[in-house]
Amino acid sequence: MIEDVVERGVKIGARLGASEVEVYATRRRGIDIIGTRRGIERITSGERVDVGVRVAAGKRVTVQGGMLSRVEDVDSVVEAAVKIARTLPEDPQWISLPKEIGRTRVEETVDRRIGEPDVEYFVEVVRLLLKRPSEMDKRAFTSSASVQLATVERAIGNSYGEAQVEESTSFGSFVSVKAVEAGEESGYYDFYLAPTLARFDPETMARKATEIAVKTLGAKRVPTGAYEVILVPRVFSGVLASLIVPAVCADSVQKGRSPLGGRVDSQVLSENLTVIDDGTYPGLAGTRSFDDEGVSTKRKEVFDRGVLKGFLYDTYTALIEGRSSTGNAFRRSPYSTPTPWISNLLVNPGKGSLDDLTRDVRRGVVVYATIGEWLSNPVSGLLNATVTNGIYLENGEEKHPVKGVVLSGNVYEDLRSAEVRVSGATESFDRFVLPSLYIPRMILAGE
Amino acid sequence: MSMVDLDKARSVLEEALRRGADHATVRLQERVYELIVYDTGVLRSYTTSRVVGLGVRAVVRGGSGYAYTTSLNKENVLRTVESAITVARVADRYGRRVLAPLTPVRDRYATEFKVDPHSVDPETKVSLLRDVNTSSVKREGIVSAVTRLGLERDRRLIVTSEGTELEIDVVGVGFAHMAVARYGAVIERVSDSESYIGGYEHIEKRDWGKFSEEIDELAIKAAQSKTPPPGAYTAVVDNEVVGLLLHEAFGHASEGDGVVTGASILKGRVGERVASELVTIVDAGLVEGGYPVPYDDEGAPKKRTVIVERGVLKGYLTSRDTSPELGIELTGNARAQDVTFDTLVRQTNYYAEPGDWRVEELFEGISFGIYLKGRGAMGGQVNPSVGTYTFSIGPSYIIRNGEPAELVRGVVVSGNILETLKEVDAVARDLKITTSVFGGCGKGGQLVRVGDGGPHLRTRKIIVGGG
Repeated sequence: MIEDVVERGVKIGARLGASEVEVYATRRRGIDIIGTRRGIERITSGERVDVGVRVAAGKRVTVQGGMLSRVEDVDSVVEAAVKIARTLPEDPQWISLPKEIGRTRVEETVDRRIGEPDVEYFVEVVRLLLKRPSEMDKRAFTSSASVQLATVERAIGNSYGEAQVEESTSFGSFVSVKAVEAGEESGYYDFYLAPTLARFDPETMARKATEIAVKTLGAKRVPTGAYEVILVPRVFSGVLASLIVPAVCADSVQKGRSPLGGRVDSQVLSENLTVIDDGTYPGLAGTRSFDDEGVSTKRKEVFDRGVLKGFLYDTYTALIEGRSSTGNAFRRSPYSTPTPWISNLLVNPGKGSLDDLTRDVRRGVVVYATIGEWLSNPVSGLLNATVTNGIYLENGEEKHPVKGVVLSGNVYEDLRSAEVRVSGATESFDRFVLPSLYIPRMILAGE
Repeated sequence: MSMVDLDKARSVLEEALRRGADHATVRLQERVYELIVYDTGVLRSYTTSRVVGLGVRAVVRGGSGYAYTTSLNKENVLRTVESAITVARVADRYGRRVLAPLTPVRDRYATEFKVDPHSVDPETKVSLLRDVNTSSVKREGIVSAVTRLGLERDRRLIVTSEGTELEIDVVGVGFAHMAVARYGAVIERVSDSESYIGGYEHIEKRDWGKFSEEIDELAIKAAQSKTPPPGAYTAVVDNEVVGLLLHEAFGHASEGDGVVTGASILKGRVGERVASELVTIVDAGLVEGGYPVPYDDEGAPKKRTVIVERGVLKGYLTSRDTSPELGIELTGNARAQDVTFDTLVRQTNYYAEPGDWRVEELFEGISFGIYLKGRGAMGGQVNPSVGTYTFSIGPSYIIRNGEPAELVRGVVVSGNILETLKEVDAVARDLKITTSVFGGCGKGGQLVRVGDGGPHLRTRKIIVGGG
């Protein structure tokens, strides 16, 4: 159906006199199963079809969108877009929609068990996540657990090429474990998000959440000061997504909102950090054949041993600089104007395990979870993340759990040190493949 | 003309009951959102999105199922009804749910407006943004600026098997501006927005050039300022920050779903002192300056709910299924982002009641502290099970010898739900509540519009992170 929406929309736009038309349509079918301490709480199922239409009348451009009930509903969206586009001022930087839409072959993006689900099986998965933590430790219980199954079809086409269509599946699972002992409370959650069930292991998820929830019972603040800090992959991903990713997106750079403007080919991070954006990497949440404007995805180095190699571009920002899109167009919703963003982000591993990193810590904190890292300022590079689950270490030994302290400082100063290290072991989750990160000096705001 | 009308909702409800639902709730929605973005002299985007769809909640014995569709043809609607019932039957095998009774109400609530924001011609809206944005970018010290206009109309129909039939129609408009200033090697951004419930007349009557100029000036000054030394501070907190503080530090933990599941640190603490006796916290559906929620998405009236009275925890926010479980009244806080989601327990307009101090008096006697200002704040987050919260603050002032002194930037505060409000030792009389059409509150992947605020207050201890 969505292919028809795209073809019809592009044709109508042309008939109405638009100089360029792009139609992006998605159809999402899904089932969510949510359980709490009370048992299976609710099951939700549904289907939505959304369309986003980008129309150019010369250099006058607009995006209109909405949910569709029938294929013909795209007509009114395109009509509105053409009508509005004509009234707008020109965007002098507009050159064109992508002229080469295409695709890269990608793997591990579809799982039949998600597309045609056995609902009872997934109910049992949620039930396992609900009961396992209290079996593992009397102080622990699951406050909520869920699975989300979805089949997503995307279709995109424009005035310059045939529609591209891709179907993928998505599986998410979440478990939140609470631990209570002698008036002290703690909690930790673990999650899985990928196109397939290939790496899904609910037993391990339940165990990890339980272990960290129990281990961080009785947490307190440490005094304000400089510490060695180790971020587990999930916390590392939060720092990257909040500070580094916005700074390497070409729109921020072009508008003067990135501290990395003009720094290509210079040493920005530690030599131990090689960062790659790769939309073709198998089996991650951002794995896809083409980006949100139909440009084929690719692999590119963003930082090679700490040296900034380049920025992430969509077509609009690329054409401003006379270069090609890097296949990084991203729409926050089908109705949004595309902007550059990561596809999947990988950091090359170093050596050893997380334990090997902690063994040499003289005075530091291992951080298992933070909140508010997204409140950091990518324009200035200032990091602020509040620790909810951490362990204070002295001479490699775990002393006591930590919470409520704020990791703060300039991320480019903290990650520039030659002593920054990453573990050999990596974790794959969501759009990331990341090791744990050791930072030799970071300011913690506490007591 | 609209596919979203009460007759449609009634017929879907009948179908659900005919096919075996013991109870059913049908939600229909049509929401139009227009967002215009002018970025550093260029119209970056002009987008309009329309959400139209239907959701059905069916309860079969003790099981609850929710299904939705954006395709309103007969075949799809019937399939959606069937799907809700099928999944409710599956859920019934594993859990028991009791719903609080709902007194049937028939009502229509619509916000008043003079000028329908979507009928104003695009050129008028774009030229307003262009004028403001281009003069901002010309200002010395400003390197880039983003100016936005958000225009929204959200119409929701809710019909339940108890006989409730509601139509809620809310129109809102807002203007936002973000300025990025550079001073030497320091780049700093400050953003602020103003939203109004009502029509485009609110946009027409305000001087947005002046509004944006103030933000630009603040960004320029902030870029020249330092970050505060991290650590624990005595703080005077302005209305906007109080809103964030209450929403994050207390509001989420008082949501009944988290209390039922044991996730909230406030579970089992009704009757306990959780704040200083100067603090009274309320969640109310209809307040001046807030986002109107006369009824929630289950069709329950949103009552004025007292959560904390003179420092003592009085209750929680509830939905139809959490109210019987907690043994407390139904407060009407079940809300969904749109019909593609089932409801969660959410705040509406969450604020503190004013006290009797004058704002200036709060600063007296503070030899060293911080005046936390909301303009430029980005929002916040809480982990209600650990009790830790955090949020960002706009450019703020160090307090020296009882008066605001130098400006500081990059301020983030954090604290513990059970500690922060106990440290409040003075509450001012200046109540202010605001909402936003550019954002809201996120939970479980859903965003809903909320209002928050309160009076200025003073707290003896809050943790400040900084550069």
